[in-house]
Amino acid sequence: MTMDPFTLTIIQEHLQSAAIETFVRLGRASKSPIIYEVLDYACALLTPRGELIAEAQGVPGFTGVLPFAVQSIVEKFGADQLRPGDIFATNDPYAGGGTHLSDVCLVGPIFAGEELVAFAANKGHWTEVGGMAPGSWTTDATEIYQEGLQLPAIRVYEQGEPDSAVLDIIAANSRLPDMTLSDLFAGVASIRVGEARVRSLCERYGSEALRASIHQLLQQGESVARNALRDLPHGVYEAEGFMDDDGLSEEPIPIRVRITIDEASFTADFSGSSPQVRGPINGTRARLYSSTRVVFKAITAPQYPNNGGCFRPVKVICPDGTIFTAQRPAPVSTYWETGAAAVDLLWQALYPIAREKLSVGHFLSICGTNLNGMREDGSLFILTEPQAGGWGATSERDGQNGLVAQGNGETYNIPVEVCETRYPLLVDQYAFHIVPEGAGRFRGGRGLVRDYRLQCPTGHVTTTYGRHRFPPWGMAGGQPGSPNGVAIIRAGDDMPALWRGKLTRYPLQRGDVVRIITGSGGGYGDALQRPLAAIEEDLRNGYVTSEQAADLYGLQWKDEEACVSPLNATSVNELIKASEGN
Amino acid sequence: MRIAADIGGTFTDLVYWDETRAQLGITKVATTPANFGDGVIHAFDQAAPEADTVDFFVHGTTIVINALTERKGVVTGLITTQGFRDVLEIGRANRPDIYNMVYQKPPPFVPRYLRREARGRLNYRGEELTPLCHEDVEACAQHLLQEGVEAIAVCFLHSYINPSHELECGALLRELAPGTPITLSHQITQEWREYERSNTAVLNAYVQPIVQHYLASLADDLMAKGIARRSLHVMQSNGGSATFDAGAAFPIHLAESGPVAGVIGAAHIGQLIGEPNVIALDVGGTTAKTSLVQDGTPRITTEYKIEHDRQSAGYPILVPTVDIVEIGAGGGSIAWVDSAGALRVGPRSAGADPGPACYDQGGEDPTVTDANLIAGRINPEYFLGGEISLNVERARAAMKRIADAFSLTVEQAAMGVIRIADSNMMNALKLISVQRGYDPRDFVLVPFGGGGAMHCAAILRELQTRKVVIPNMPGVFSAWGMLMTHLRRDAIRTQVTRTDRVNPHELDHIYQEMCAQAEKELLAQGATTNAIRIERYADMRYWGQEHTVKVPLQNARVDAGALQSLIAAFHDLHEQTYTFRLDTPTELVNYHITAFGRVSTPDIPKVAQESSSLADARKGQRRVCFDTADFQQAEIYERDRLPLQQPIPGPAVIEESSATIVVFPQQTLLRDEYGFIHIQRKET
Repeated sequence: MTMDPFTLTIIQEHLQSAAIETFVRLGRASKSPIIYEVLDYACALLTPRGELIAEAQGVPGFTGVLPFAVQSIVEKFGADQLRPGDIFATNDPYAGGGTHLSDVCLVGPIFAGEELVAFAANKGHWTEVGGMAPGSWTTDATEIYQEGLQLPAIRVYEQGEPDSAVLDIIAANSRLPDMTLSDLFAGVASIRVGEARVRSLCERYGSEALRASIHQLLQQGESVARNALRDLPHGVYEAEGFMDDDGLSEEPIPIRVRITIDEASFTADFSGSSPQVRGPINGTRARLYSSTRVVFKAITAPQYPNNGGCFRPVKVICPDGTIFTAQRPAPVSTYWETGAAAVDLLWQALYPIAREKLSVGHFLSICGTNLNGMREDGSLFILTEPQAGGWGATSERDGQNGLVAQGNGETYNIPVEVCETRYPLLVDQYAFHIVPEGAGRFRGGRGLVRDYRLQCPTGHVTTTYGRHRFPPWGMAGGQPGSPNGVAIIRAGDDMPALWRGKLTRYPLQRGDVVRIITGSGGGYGDALQRPLAAIEEDLRNGYVTSEQAADLYGLQWKDEEACVSPLNATSVNELIKASEGN
Repeated sequence: MRIAADIGGTFTDLVYWDETRAQLGITKVATTPANFGDGVIHAFDQAAPEADTVDFFVHGTTIVINALTERKGVVTGLITTQGFRDVLEIGRANRPDIYNMVYQKPPPFVPRYLRREARGRLNYRGEELTPLCHEDVEACAQHLLQEGVEAIAVCFLHSYINPSHELECGALLRELAPGTPITLSHQITQEWREYERSNTAVLNAYVQPIVQHYLASLADDLMAKGIARRSLHVMQSNGGSATFDAGAAFPIHLAESGPVAGVIGAAHIGQLIGEPNVIALDVGGTTAKTSLVQDGTPRITTEYKIEHDRQSAGYPILVPTVDIVEIGAGGGSIAWVDSAGALRVGPRSAGADPGPACYDQGGEDPTVTDANLIAGRINPEYFLGGEISLNVERARAAMKRIADAFSLTVEQAAMGVIRIADSNMMNALKLISVQRGYDPRDFVLVPFGGGGAMHCAAILRELQTRKVVIPNMPGVFSAWGMLMTHLRRDAIRTQVTRTDRVNPHELDHIYQEMCAQAEKELLAQGATTNAIRIERYADMRYWGQEHTVKVPLQNARVDAGALQSLIAAFHDLHEQTYTFRLDTPTELVNYHITAFGRVSTPDIPKVAQESSSLADARKGQRRVCFDTADFQQAEIYERDRLPLQQPIPGPAVIEESSATIVVFPQQTLLRDEYGFIHIQRKET
């Protein structure tokens, strides 16, 4: 059956809006701030074989994992054992779950009559699934058993009815059972919406038409990808770098990629990267695929509606047991650092051929922060949030100030007023962090500084901030950006007691300040070619201080408000040349 | 006499209602972009009503939204809490275009050097931790004045719960910067979230001098015509009206002043025909806008944003706004083939200039209007009552591009474009209904604007709304809707409280205080005490959730019993919206009251029953494509000559000067006693 082009577009729009509806439904019903405020989740519709049909998501890279989740359910149970109303859960990082235990995938088969026509699936970061640390992630786990409850592809709803034994087990293993179960219910509500919408599409157009349309839509996605691939310069592109450390040692972790682009395929080979490590920073294969897909999408057709066809030319090569393909029982709870590192590696390798679609290095790390403690009334609070930071310059403009990392997307910071109401914390400042790094013809965007002052007797903070030791890269003579890190300022002190990338359940007392600093992005081009007008604008707005400007450009400025160019030069470079001429 | 003036992209419409003669009048003049007020005056002069009998003049204006989107506001400064001047630029730091690695954030309306800080801090309970530093405020004011700011916004942390620092700062600024308009964030909204509130205050300040000037000058002109100042009103985004003075005080409430009027009109139609649940659909040249009216009340949102789409985070405006979903699907929307070879329609539009290809003004892209013309739905000699003669050959030449891309006939291509435009509109309707927990089958569709009546038959078939009801004069329906408005004032206050820990008396006290304040404001605007009606709502959620559900509070006074009914209503509404209920404590987040100052609205006259027959209405036959690409011989009727209460089988096309109504073969139409056209599925 071949669909006429118009019905095809209409069905595509319906599927897309169904996916968005499942997304909205989940976020609205959730009780976890990391879901409803930060939107750390994704929803999708997939084919019976697990290929992506349509997605809606807060974070890129999440839906890239869902096909593996669906496939693992089908493999384990067999397609003929699925029933209408069933819902399955998996968070197995090495197989279908693909990330860490906090991210639970829920998968529901959708039937039209007897026929399995699609899956609705979602993956959300549940705030609490047990383990050695509140919030279920930490920096010093050495095996997965310390990281929380494992849900190894199990049936949680059978023909519409929840399995109360499973729900009891989930509740008993969580420090915040009410929140955790609500996350489950929100995910189920989302799947039910997806089911209803796909069913009504089948009623309207027939399941055969739906199947044919999906087939054609995936083919369209593939043709978009292949056309884009044809336009990219074919060749081999490489990059290598380091991740800071695994949290348990000081050893930098070497990583590398070799990308081959030809007429028919895009192959990313991560062979030669570090073996898996002792600390929980390991990533797994599904996430590596997902990282690769994100970058491929960004340089081919970023705005084209995403589906499984878009990724058919993508191949990933990596032996088992590396930092990107860790094997059980390696700990993985801060896997996102490795996922982001893979993205950045690909990004850096491809930058020379995709300048108009990529910025230079950005602060990259989600800067996972977990601040917890006891309120005065003895109840536990957990603040889990990602941070925003500075993005790299592009070959045409300055980098963006204070934007969430690549690994986040439609992800929101937590308002100060909400934060102070919800947690015993006082935020002393939330501002741009003005540093000299990231200078260039176009400069890097500014990172942020956010101070949390503890308002209850005791607490703990755990952080995992990558790019603490290896800052964002610049390009074409642009300078590298600045590092991410966290400082602790003891109550009554002015100066930080320490400055780290990772902190593990670091003890806090009332009045202590946790100062979170995110990096500035890398610069593009020679700083001496920066137009004076842009420098004046920076000074006026305080994006650089006059001292920094003096150091950076070797010039004296009268004051922050005005810098005078006596020679009508338009850039520092011209100014220097002109004064040399005199 | 009531007069409504609505300024559109092309025309300025004036509709008036003369009670003594029970007469409705309409005037249409060209919009005057150089000074929009001139168009209003032109229309007024043309209509020449007796000015001294005008007791209610209401105006829907795009001045605010234009100043915002065209960045034509004034140089604005912001004073905020020390440590937080970058909040306005950080925003929520989100990246909606998630695969775009060169995404650019929407730049703030106040650059960093005009954002200044003052010491002074409250905690989340509104208790003062540090007093406001007057020296800092002085320094801020001095700096901002030196930099030439023309308006100042003030937003301090937690001012939503305790406005004292903002009030103190405002008093200082009035001395330090006399004559400079000051916006204090809490005066616009007492909801939490500092970025959203700051941005709202900033946008208000940014447009305020422009709006003040515009309304003052229009008021002068209208008063010169003899209309009393107290009769002058503007439409607000919440669907109610306010006096010119109240509107100029907080102009950000006027951002959706234009579009909301149609929704109010649709609600009124619903009321007249006994259908309280209505979906309004306004199809214009560039976009389609849709809103939902439940139990006679338009849905209100406080999550309104401008310039927000899948590619941009946009700018939040935290004021109660009629919930409108707008998509790029109108008569001028351009059909094109994307990189995967799929047909797309919109969001790019040919607009009014050059307009669709068939306008013959140089437009070469195929548009939805071209498609409707090729499909025989539009009469080329009777478009806009014959004001523009359409060129079918131009339309066909443009559509040939689409036809060639798919090896189809021009007619097939045109029907494809229509179907996709229909589908886009249906998706917008689903966003406003099913995605918010409503079933379109419980609603009546009221289409208006130039194109609404042409696309509603397909929507009726697909979404199965109860029926379609097309108002009279759908082309000037927004202005007509404005005639039906009442004074309205919304107040929202955030105060997060668990319902099992709240004292009902305190709750009652807050509502009483808010009601008294709103009542005072309405009285100041000329409402009479016994015409004031107040609705109370609570935004509630389960403890631990973030998003809230708006629950009506039925009782005027809150006691233990009222609180229990409120909680019970919340559980029901939550289940309706999110499919489940929980056994956990519930929480009150926002207190919301809506005060209406009712004014007398026109009694819509019934059509004088003449003994007309269907034959009188028949204009002839034409070959038309309805739901397929096959042409059928169809009856063409003139709307005003249709007999009343007589079911007429489709397929049919009904023409009138401002719109064309398309009725599918499996549908019937009926003209009711008010002259509204009802379209329903044929009984099977």
